Amino acid sequence: MKLNFQPTLVASGEDGDGRLVYRGDYLVAVLVRLSDVQGGLAGRWFLEKGFGPLDTPKPPVFADLAEAEAWLTARLADNVLGRYWP
Amino acid sequence: MASPDTLPELRFLIAKLRSIAELPNSSEQALLALPFRVRSFAENTDIVRQGDRPGECALLLDGFACRYKVLGEGQRQIMSFHIPGDIPDLQSLHLPVMDHSLMALTPTKLAFIPHLALNDLTRTYPEITVAFWRDTLIDASVFREWLAGVGRRTAHQRIAHLICEVYVRMRSVGLAEKGGFPLPVTQAELGDSLGLSTVHVNRVLQDLRRDGLISSKGRFVVIQDWEQLKAAGDFEAGYLHLRMAEAA
Repeated sequence: MKLNFQPTLVASGEDGDGRLVYRGDYLVAVLVRLSDVQGGLAGRWFLEKGFGPLDTPKPPVFADLAEAEAWLTARLADNVLGRYWP
Repeated sequence: MASPDTLPELRFLIAKLRSIAELPNSSEQALLALPFRVRSFAENTDIVRQGDRPGECALLLDGFACRYKVLGEGQRQIMSFHIPGDIPDLQSLHLPVMDHSLMALTPTKLAFIPHLALNDLTRTYPEITVAFWRDTLIDASVFREWLAGVGRRTAHQRIAHLICEVYVRMRSVGLAEKGGFPLPVTQAELGDSLGLSTVHVNRVLQDLRRDGLISSKGRFVVIQDWEQLKAAGDFEAGYLHLRMAEAA
């Protein structure tokens, strides 16, 4: 199932630019675009919060939203026995 | 007493042990007479590896080191930072197989002291045995504090707490100056020690600077407001069990 990226503002200490990532009706992740605070990482996308199989102790940083989508899609394939959604 | 100038390699060990235990002059002389060989390590190289069976203990003379374990998917957890005067693998004296690795975070110099000599020393000088025992007990106390932090403190508290801890430990062996100290670790290494992402570490360091608690020049941290920093980190130095009460 294709992921849907919905623009939003996130109060995480960056510029605010964020995306709510939906798989069908389910919110699966929140992405945030990194600001100048992050030096060389500025402009990249951070997995601010992942739910279910996207919950990881070391959340990744992506070059762009396409790279984020590829990673999220691969991880979401791990929905073992419908544990996280029907 | 031997002059520190004539025996620079072991002066931090004496300073370290004196910061946590009483050492009679005879014990200091015996420590200074320990045999050792000095080896240098480049930044980001292992000093001792998990699974090794060391025949020596490594006394840190110069530089910054850490204990760590590698977990699944290449994830690393740093479990402690070490400064000159520390013997991070002292446990190898009685636990023959290393259950973690020890790595140089900067160019680092260490004195390797044979287990044989350390065992002889501890059999002859009970005060030294007590000092080493006390050191390992304090080690355990620091781990309890870190566990509480990783489990229950916020990102802000964890980072402020770590800065306070390293500062107080450096001061106790005379390595911190004028309210500042070298903290030669990257944001990624801070994150790996505190269970935080590099992104969160950056955010918190920015906040601490903006709130006027610290400033930094390269890898040198200046404490701008000690009381506020301690409050931000929920930091009480008691768990370090230093003989001289911390007062900055």
